[in-house]
Amino acid sequence: MRKLIVILVCICSFNDPVYAASVNVVTTLSTFADLVSEIGGDHVEVANVAFPKFNPHFIQPRPSHVLKVKRADLFVHAGLDLELWRGPLLDAAGNRDVRPGNRGDLDLSLGVALLEVPDRKQSRAEGDIHLFGNPHYWLDPANAKIMAANIANKLSEIDPAHADDYNNRLSLFHERIDRKMAEWLTRMEPYKGYELLGYHNQWPYVVKFLGLRMEHFLEPKPGVPPGPRQLEFLTEHAKTSNVYGIVQAVYFPDRAVKTLSKRTGLAVVKLSQNVGDTPQVQDYISILEYDVSQLVTLFEGLAAHD
Amino acid sequence: MRCAFSSFLIIWAWVMPLAHTQEPLDKEVQSLKEDVDALTQLLENLQSVVEGQQERIQALENENTALLRETKPPVVERPAQPRPPEPAPAAMGSRISQTLNPDIGLVIDIAGALSESQEDEEGNDKFSVRELELTIGHDIDPYTRFDSTITFSDTEDVEIEEAYVTFLELPGQLQVRAGRMRPKIGKASAVHRDQLDTVDEPLVVQRYLGAEGLFRTGVEVSRYLPQFAGPLTQEVTVGILEGGIGEGGSLFGDTRRHPTYYAHLKNSWDLSPSTNLELGGTYLLGSSGADDRRDVQAFGADLTLRHHFTSVRTLKWQSELYAQKRDDVISTNDDPIGFYSLLDFRVSRRWGFGARYDWVELVLADPMWPDDKEKAYSAYITFFQSEFARLRLQYQLVESASGARDNRFFLQGTFAVGVHKHKLQ
Repeated sequence: MRKLIVILVCICSFNDPVYAASVNVVTTLSTFADLVSEIGGDHVEVANVAFPKFNPHFIQPRPSHVLKVKRADLFVHAGLDLELWRGPLLDAAGNRDVRPGNRGDLDLSLGVALLEVPDRKQSRAEGDIHLFGNPHYWLDPANAKIMAANIANKLSEIDPAHADDYNNRLSLFHERIDRKMAEWLTRMEPYKGYELLGYHNQWPYVVKFLGLRMEHFLEPKPGVPPGPRQLEFLTEHAKTSNVYGIVQAVYFPDRAVKTLSKRTGLAVVKLSQNVGDTPQVQDYISILEYDVSQLVTLFEGLAAHD
Repeated sequence: MRCAFSSFLIIWAWVMPLAHTQEPLDKEVQSLKEDVDALTQLLENLQSVVEGQQERIQALENENTALLRETKPPVVERPAQPRPPEPAPAAMGSRISQTLNPDIGLVIDIAGALSESQEDEEGNDKFSVRELELTIGHDIDPYTRFDSTITFSDTEDVEIEEAYVTFLELPGQLQVRAGRMRPKIGKASAVHRDQLDTVDEPLVVQRYLGAEGLFRTGVEVSRYLPQFAGPLTQEVTVGILEGGIGEGGSLFGDTRRHPTYYAHLKNSWDLSPSTNLELGGTYLLGSSGADDRRDVQAFGADLTLRHHFTSVRTLKWQSELYAQKRDDVISTNDDPIGFYSLLDFRVSRRWGFGARYDWVELVLADPMWPDDKEKAYSAYITFFQSEFARLRLQYQLVESASGARDNRFFLQGTFAVGVHKHKLQ
């Protein structure tokens, strides 16, 4: 027993290093980390948990992530049920400040008008359901403005000494994104109403923003891998409708998409979903910049072919 | 004359009807004129209303602009609070009760086994609900969380596998668990059956710690250490448990009187964003019987190398070793050692396969047996129907210390409903 007490005293005597930054922030996704850096500037130290090339639904946090969350002043996440690994991560970290509802918890979905909010009782028979609505909302730049405002407000609350800086940086971000939004919409104007097929239902926000349509997916139900029946259905649909291409995130397997592309002759375009999932995408604005360019290239290619 | 008369008749016939309708036509024209006048009046009224409203809008805009100019610095508008329409009072009550209800999950483990062995071990030549695991957990208050796992089975009695409270934040960044729990030692014993990569626990865990690993009542303190060297993360755990061991385990005796002490050091290296190496060290100190105190020690080491090709496609190599040092009189081997090594490859969202090698020296072996060691070779394939349902087929060859060779086949189905949260490994 004495040995145990000695060990405990030794363990407690280790001290954590003191961080120079004002606010120590951990985010679930790399995109959120970029937005926090955008608003927080030099006043924040940011780390993210999910490797951007991986599906954010299926992440296995490591001990290093637990330690980061344990020491965080602010934990920024998508809310809803995007990161199902968030609960176990918070339990393991045991940092009371960042637990849901506490001062260091920031749910970025606050104030966002969600799409596909279920209007009836949900069951897992529907696949990997999202009980609160589609959680991939950050791909609409209008929502990014709301998320950035959420971040500025929370940082100002935690670090009031730099509130003016956070608000100024927010205004600059809003100005930049407003300019880019107009530009993206102009580029996509000729293609309004074009229909695309998706692998997973993760694009409704960007599709709505750009004025496109996406109603059918390779996954017959969210989270259920594509099967022969679904591929057959999509092949028939592509024959009878004006479909212009197949959209896929970088982390989904290629096989089913290639099969469908071969059967239908539709081109496949890989879009970015998070900062860092593609070499060209190094900040929030470049996600949309990249995605719009990919889509314009796809549609222009089709026009030239016609 | 006749011609003039005919012309008169024609003109008369044409003019007479007009003369008869002239009077109602005048009335109709009069009525229409009145209607037009009324509509004109209405339009004028509406026009004046619109003009009034435009003046009001202009006044409000001026007021708004003046207010905005007065505000320094510009205030960031807080986005509106969340979205779905306000629920009706009854729905609100239901939502509150749902929020306060604990998280409840059920995991059913159905296993079939075919074996050449004549011993009626758990699940031998049976198709049974090996385990129905009821998990209940919730935050008690801002400082503590409650978690429990109760297991039902059609081959065993109901058992409280875990029921503990976690004190989330204590001085010195300590985290404390108190109650019945799986202690943080090694790898396989620290997780529930449905988290295992194989149908059965590794032999070294079964023979030393118990058929389902070690879980007892006690207190455990853990803490993450400061990062000394780059990507190295360390967590140290110490604890004390009531005496005894898991079902069929031989490391300690059955007595609950003499407590078991344990410590574990987890070292985790992030070799890259997709590769992680974990090395662990375990120490256990306990008693072999009611009359003995702290006469058995065990030293453990575990190694796990995990590489994610994608978020799903993962290769894992996990090995664990336990070495005992016994000062008791009942064991036939004073320093038994056992280990296993497992290679698991999750190929896709649907499929995974792997193999495990077991080698374990028994604590108590019959002197008549030709050997005091058991070995097992296992291979398995897993079909993941979804995140919540999977089927596993496993073949195992066991070479017992008695010299018998047993070919075993397992078929396992694991299905989960409700909220099912696993602790991070």
